[in-house]
Amino acid sequence: MTGALEVGLVVFVLACAVATAMLRDVLGSIIAFGAYSLGIAVIWVFLRAPDVGLTEAAVGAGIMTILLLLTIAKTVRPVDEEVLESVDLRALAVSVALVAVLSTTLVALPAVGDADSAVADDNVTDYYLDNAYEETEVKNAVTAVLAAYRGFDTLGEAAVVYSAGIGLLVVLDREVLG
Amino acid sequence: MSDAEETPVEDEGAVENGEGLYVESPIIMTTVRVITPFVFTLGLFVMFHGADSSGGGFQGGVIVGTVVLMLGIAFGIETTRDWVGPRLAVALVGLGVLAFLVIGLGSVALGGDFLEYEVYGIYHATKYGIELVELAIGLVVSGIVTGLFFVIAAGVADDGSDLA
Repeated sequence: MTGALEVGLVVFVLACAVATAMLRDVLGSIIAFGAYSLGIAVIWVFLRAPDVGLTEAAVGAGIMTILLLLTIAKTVRPVDEEVLESVDLRALAVSVALVAVLSTTLVALPAVGDADSAVADDNVTDYYLDNAYEETEVKNAVTAVLAAYRGFDTLGEAAVVYSAGIGLLVVLDREVLG
Repeated sequence: MSDAEETPVEDEGAVENGEGLYVESPIIMTTVRVITPFVFTLGLFVMFHGADSSGGGFQGGVIVGTVVLMLGIAFGIETTRDWVGPRLAVALVGLGVLAFLVIGLGSVALGGDFLEYEVYGIYHATKYGIELVELAIGLVVSGIVTGLFFVIAAGVADDGSDLA
């Protein structure tokens, strides 16, 4: 059940990804990257993962674009006649080969929303879906898993974000202010 | 500029290099003035409502952080940084992780398992506990986002003054 909209989205995302890699102008590349993230966010919603889509839209298309723009804001724009990056044929061949090898696993994946997929009839998943509301009183099973059933993992993630962020702030601050 | 007396060299560089550009744009100023409260409310909504619909602390935290970014783009990054202060972002991050730790280990201290909200014995402990944890995650993320924004912007201003 792939409608024209889904196919169009995938084509859009692929085109944006290629544009991000190929454009010589960094500003154009960042804009293409933002469009790519937005397309990916919509695809997540189509794949019924609105939480992930919201994250992608906010972080990928929003914050990252602004941070990248800030970073290049004071760089010098090269005066160049060429619009596109020249393609390294060997690297291209390796990338295409890698994608081809990975694509062979695609046929083994279940269809989107398939009731017989390994995720849907897994015991753990069933337990979460059956008991999440009574045990945690939150309607979003994803939140129940994140903040209640696997709260220790989430604490680890928070600690990772904390240490990575503080580390970056310290390094950048020293770099900037000496 | 309010801090012109304190750091004249750095401030001149910042004003010359793009900061003044955006501050005078009536379109950006008006847009930011109008939509900032809505975006802030949306961020809080996503953060608190993550328990019942899609969303959560991480996404909401990023949206709340975006508010500061919008203010920075409209009113000038240096001005906003002076207004927010250098410590707030880091304090938010530390407070968020600390709140999560206290909530999680507090239930252990009271004789339950990690994050076993029922031992707190308040009304709908699990529901409100989860929302508190989401809020803590939101604090961490919004603090990191604003901190990174200001530090990267400062790097831009410094490079600009070096080049000029």
